Amino acid sequence: MEKLMAALKAQIVEQLNLQEVKPEEIGDDQPLFKEGLGLDSIDALELIVLLQQNYNIRIANPEQGPEIFRSVRTMAEFITAQQTKQ
Amino acid sequence: MSIYIQGTGCVSPLETAAEGPFPAVVNPAYDGARLKVSDPDYKQWIDIKQIRRMSRIIKMGVAAAKLSLQEAGVEKPDAIITGTAYGCLDDTGVFLTKMINQQEEMLTPTSFIQSTHNTVAGQIALMLSCHAYNNTFVHKGFSFESALLDSIMILKEGKSKHILMGAMDELTTHSFNIISRFNRFKKEPVTHTELLHSTTPGTVAGEGAACFVLGTEKGDNSHARLTGLTTSYKPGSTAEIAADIIAFLAVHEIAQEDIDLLITGRNGDSEGDIWYDHVERTLFPDQAVGCFKHLCGEYPTAASFGMWVGCKVLSSGQVPADVLFKGNTPEKIKKILIYNHYKGTHHSLILLTGC
Repeated sequence: MEKLMAALKAQIVEQLNLQEVKPEEIGDDQPLFKEGLGLDSIDALELIVLLQQNYNIRIANPEQGPEIFRSVRTMAEFITAQQTKQ
Repeated sequence: MSIYIQGTGCVSPLETAAEGPFPAVVNPAYDGARLKVSDPDYKQWIDIKQIRRMSRIIKMGVAAAKLSLQEAGVEKPDAIITGTAYGCLDDTGVFLTKMINQQEEMLTPTSFIQSTHNTVAGQIALMLSCHAYNNTFVHKGFSFESALLDSIMILKEGKSKHILMGAMDELTTHSFNIISRFNRFKKEPVTHTELLHSTTPGTVAGEGAACFVLGTEKGDNSHARLTGLTTSYKPGSTAEIAADIIAFLAVHEIAQEDIDLLITGRNGDSEGDIWYDHVERTLFPDQAVGCFKHLCGEYPTAASFGMWVGCKVLSSGQVPADVLFKGNTPEKIKKILIYNHYKGTHHSLILLTGC
């Protein structure tokens, strides 16, 4: 899980071009949106593409989005769960 | 009705992205036949969270817009009008490359959103929360002039007080390589001091953004009035453009000798400069002549940089040594005619008057 979260942080910084943020500065449980990392709806789309590109995971139910993308940890848990299913 | 240029802002290969006079040090960095913008620290105008999504042209356009609004003392204009020939070329390239590489699947939204021609005007409006008229003109070598014409017409309707208008174009490695195939650029090394005297075909590629706040009232920082504008598409000969210039001046009740400074779009291309040679020789043999494309390079909206130079000359009453091409600085500079053409097809005349 730790390894996956570290990889995710690096991918988020790269995909969203977060110029002033270092991957290690993102907390495992830090909210990604609004008051946390400050991401917005366009970033949410970028994160969906990130999951497809890097982990071959499609989000079937868009209503799950807020839950999956709450933090790096929730993203990692979702990826792990999906990979287990596959 | 007079139209005043209340504020100007410019991002170019020179250190122009600051309020104040024409830069004292002029040393554009020629990279072969290519001139790149000297990027200022864009964070002084753009929030760090927004800047990460912006390509260079958006940052250039926003910076020029903010500078011009700042100088004019205007927070929110009544209209935002831009001109661009190439639009957001870099992001268009990013998006198209991803389309090909990823076989049209899993495309990210950011580069698509930022790839449209009206992105710059839209981004400025978003940053200013300006819901007013917003338009972008994409007409090759007349993109800037079309935006200018629209601004003039709106101001003449009397419903708008301040209009933010400008033009921007960026050059990418990809576009430079493509345009180079048409032999548009110099093959031999050249410097900015040599370019205008070159006798070979081709010029130097450039890029930049220049914005202006236009209004019907004289502002604290207004130094110029936009007195006239006209365009001529594919004039048949140098004699025809000379006749067009005489007619243009006559419409504005100005004699040729009333022009204190002629600023031309001379770019060192032996094939294109014959237009300027003819006009200088036959219409303005005794006047001082200034040039600007050795400082910004050639691009479809370069006339906007020429107009910015004209504004700086009128505000200071001086012609910078690096701008003066022929003659001596006139004792008084009241009227400036800017004559520019792009690729010999798109010719434009802009008349500025001091105030």
